Amino acid sequence: MAALPRRIIKETQRLMQEPVPGISAVPDDTNARYFHVIVTGPEDSPFEGGLFKLELFLPEDYPMSAPKVRFITKIYHPNIDRLGRICLDILKDKWSPALQIRTVLLSIQALLSAPNPDDPLANDVAELWKVNESEAIRNAKEWTRRYAMDN
Amino acid sequence: MSGAECESDMDCSGSDCGDAGYEDYYSTQPWDGEIDNDINFDKQKQDPEYAVYECLRVDEVERLLNENVEFLTTNLQITPSLAKLFLHAHEWDLQDILLKYQDNTSNIMIDSKIILSHSVDPLFNMKFLKGNLCSVCFLTFPTERFSTLNCGHSFCNDCWCAYFETQILQGVSTGIRCMANSCSILAPEDFVLSLLIKPIMRERYQQFVFRDYVKSHPQLRFCPGPNCQIVIRSKELRSKRVICSICKTVFCFRCGMDYHAPTDCDTIKKWLTKCADDSETANYISAHTKDCPKCHICIEKNGGCNHMQCYNCKHDFCWMCLGDWKTHGSEYYECSRYKENPNIAHESVHAQAREALKKYLHYYERWENHSKSLKLEEQTLEEIKLRIQKKVMNASGTWIDWQHLFEAASLLARCRYTLQYTYPYAYYMEAGPRKELFEYQQAQLEAEIENLSWKIERAETTDRGDLENQMDIAEKRRITLLKDFLEV
Repeated sequence: MAALPRRIIKETQRLMQEPVPGISAVPDDTNARYFHVIVTGPEDSPFEGGLFKLELFLPEDYPMSAPKVRFITKIYHPNIDRLGRICLDILKDKWSPALQIRTVLLSIQALLSAPNPDDPLANDVAELWKVNESEAIRNAKEWTRRYAMDN
Repeated sequence: MSGAECESDMDCSGSDCGDAGYEDYYSTQPWDGEIDNDINFDKQKQDPEYAVYECLRVDEVERLLNENVEFLTTNLQITPSLAKLFLHAHEWDLQDILLKYQDNTSNIMIDSKIILSHSVDPLFNMKFLKGNLCSVCFLTFPTERFSTLNCGHSFCNDCWCAYFETQILQGVSTGIRCMANSCSILAPEDFVLSLLIKPIMRERYQQFVFRDYVKSHPQLRFCPGPNCQIVIRSKELRSKRVICSICKTVFCFRCGMDYHAPTDCDTIKKWLTKCADDSETANYISAHTKDCPKCHICIEKNGGCNHMQCYNCKHDFCWMCLGDWKTHGSEYYECSRYKENPNIAHESVHAQAREALKKYLHYYERWENHSKSLKLEEQTLEEIKLRIQKKVMNASGTWIDWQHLFEAASLLARCRYTLQYTYPYAYYMEAGPRKELFEYQQAQLEAEIENLSWKIERAETTDRGDLENQMDIAEKRRITLLKDFLEV
């Protein structure tokens, strides 16, 4: 495997030295491009109190291409599907090489605070979020309790 | 290279009709470079399918685009790269660009994503450039190894190059934006080319840029034929039938799909999507055999004509509806018409769904059947060739004496093609007097087409005058229908 670019080394160092509040990202022992991520559910959101596991992978042409990120913990959210895939513009066409792992994870945390049912990935969830928001929020809390609180 | 300079193939009257072979029907096009609008209008009135266009090679298109670029560079005193950004952002409308440029230069620069409407965040460059640090690779370089777009965002040349390569590999060219987060400024051609090093990447970038320019130009369309390099140019963006002079692909200039008169672009798209979705339901129809309605012997259809005669009992019937053919020639011909259930609104949801499917299948069967007939009639044409050869060998007439059979076959193909595309049109039409008129004309056209097909298949026993008369009637029916219902 080719040597790790300085950019990835620097980013990793900074993530360890000055971690983002509520987010932990640790590179895998065997692959420095694969990160184990834990995001805490934001306050005043239905995900509050939950710990959500994600995986993040930096592709060969990172930072020219966006990192690949996926939720491992099940989550009830209109922009995250059953496989944990995330609908977020900066992970797709709005990616900029000037963005970093920390900015991506902050955007994902912000997505938990502000679900966007008008740009859905999980259609059934988005539908309920639009027609009956309180029930959708109840479901999200229930899923958080069931899947994101037992270690 | 301009299209073939030939007469409109629609100028048919009597024996002059259909002077082209089957292949040639779609390939002969009236082309006249700088035709007067009056003449245009006249031809349009005579022939609803009349179209003016030209087929251009890549170098001819490049010349055309470059003329536009040069016009702007000399008139506005700007670089060719800048001119291209304006042209691409404004659909190559020179007058529009000139007006906007004279009206407010900075506005058009902002609209074309050449400059920002606000100044760039001063912190951005202070933070990184002080130490000559590139914010993408985190490496330090001397100042001359950095490049900056109009927005002021500065990155090292290696990162720009790697970024461009990634974008190009994803098929992006004219749309390459600045690397800074949420900066919308576009990278002009000269900027990209000054930083791209690999020749293969430069070549690919230029190919993609050309493709984007053609796609953004309202007068230009790539020929959809496989591996065809031709670009069609038409001054009006209408759903007209165009034919590529090289690969002979026929398509609609507006939507690029198979030509579809009298149906419009949106409707045919809806119809084709529906057919693709419902193909399983409709699959059973594709069986090639039916039983004779009189003696019940199994019959395989091997010709295009839908007027069938059972070889066993000689019963004449219609392949589509299996009704007696005698009722088909008359004014009461109703095989093409779908009879809606007048009480359907009061029926159950289930019954309504069944009725909807029945209605769709009625039109789909006819659409599919005429498409098959077209293919079968191509085979008939091959048989005609053999038949003519035999006749010439037996000294019963010369090759020229039998040419009219080819003309008849090409005219038949043209008529049946239009007939096929009348079915999606009818399917989406709302009930009312206009639909009644349409279905009446459609039925008339269908009856005459089947008569013609019948006569061509049995050309030895029918005389030439009779056949030519039938050709004339069928084409007139087709033109009448298009004149009344084709909206372009």
